[in-house]
Amino acid sequence: MKEETYILFDKYLNNELSSIELKSFIKQLNTDVNFKEEFEIYKSLEKSLSSKFENEEATKDLKATLSNLGNQYIKKETKVRSLLRYRPILVAASIALLIGFFLFNNGEPVYSDYSNHNSLELIVRGDNTEEFVKAQTAFNSQNYEEALALLTIASKNNPENIEILLYKGICDLELNNYNSSAKIFNKISTGNSAFSNTAKWYSALSLLKQDKIEECKQVLKTIPTSADEYSKAKKLLKKL
Amino acid sequence: MTQKQHSDHIYIEALLKNDSRVLSKIYEKYSHKITSYVRNNNGNYDDAQDIIQETLVTIYHQAKEKGFILTCPFDAYFYLLCKRRWLNELKKRGNKRVTIIENETSITEEQEQQVEETEFFEQQNQLFESKFKELGNKCQELLKASFKIKSMEKVAEFLGVTYGYARKKKSQCMGKLTQLVKNSKEFHQLKKY
Repeated sequence: MKEETYILFDKYLNNELSSIELKSFIKQLNTDVNFKEEFEIYKSLEKSLSSKFENEEATKDLKATLSNLGNQYIKKETKVRSLLRYRPILVAASIALLIGFFLFNNGEPVYSDYSNHNSLELIVRGDNTEEFVKAQTAFNSQNYEEALALLTIASKNNPENIEILLYKGICDLELNNYNSSAKIFNKISTGNSAFSNTAKWYSALSLLKQDKIEECKQVLKTIPTSADEYSKAKKLLKKL
Repeated sequence: MTQKQHSDHIYIEALLKNDSRVLSKIYEKYSHKITSYVRNNNGNYDDAQDIIQETLVTIYHQAKEKGFILTCPFDAYFYLLCKRRWLNELKKRGNKRVTIIENETSITEEQEQQVEETEFFEQQNQLFESKFKELGNKCQELLKASFKIKSMEKVAEFLGVTYGYARKKKSQCMGKLTQLVKNSKEFHQLKKY
């Protein structure tokens, strides 16, 4: 369409047309489909862009508020935070690991190589907070017997919470209650939760701990490439 | 058309006023259900937080620009919007092994209509935004200035050009943008609504 048309649109939207111009404008709107379509787009664009740019600052402020609330109300993945918190230990640990690699590069992998569990951070708002805090403290300080007892209660009270169940399984694994941990990991592996691949990984670790190497390999192979655990699973498979 | 405002419209007003006290109620009451849905369907907490925030910002824009009025309960409306946004996100990520766990909430026609209204608004907005970015730098700058400053006299002064030139350029750039939108395939899909 011609340049003049858009100048006409602009004038119309600014109420700058004379009454004669206005009449012919309206007539064209009613008779010319193409003219009408372009005018509708022009008008929507004008409205949308002006709202967008006018409210740029306010939108930024709103996003800041929402980010804050989100951080406050939605429990986060533990990895990033705990990694930062344990940075000095991590540095030391990686140096130790490097030395280890040099010394024992050909050693067979064992369960304890992999038993650094992500720390448990269950704190959510609600009535069970105290119970969660206790379980969490016990687990994170590797007091697995106490953690198991507390998580068993927590799991009964929150049967839909897969994370609690998973950590209960890890306690069982640590305490060599293989039957019980296998049952839990199998149940989670076959479910649809975000923890199903983590549970597969732990099933494999449990078998590794029992020296059931062949079975361990089979389980590792079931971890899909898209899983967070895939790269460690691949590495472990290589070594076995 | 007069629409009867639902009492949950307070949440829309809270978005407009950036009222964190009322907004915190949204997170307190509704974020849990959405987070569970996302996490049960191949997502994590960060995904859930993003989905919730993006949905709220969209509703804010719609309220600001179109005076959106909520006529149904917020719960089902918001949940359905978040859910569909997450499904779209999964599609974008090319996630083929999606096993969607449905906890079907019954939805009235009215709620469905409000959800579609918001989705239509967002798709249109995204189309406009992406076409705006296809314009040359000069046009982008001029349009941005004219929408922010409002008075074209001041825009001309700001850009160091005459008023007449600024006006002419503005409608030229808007014309170009109109063409870009009109000729896009997204626009033809939107028209079907």
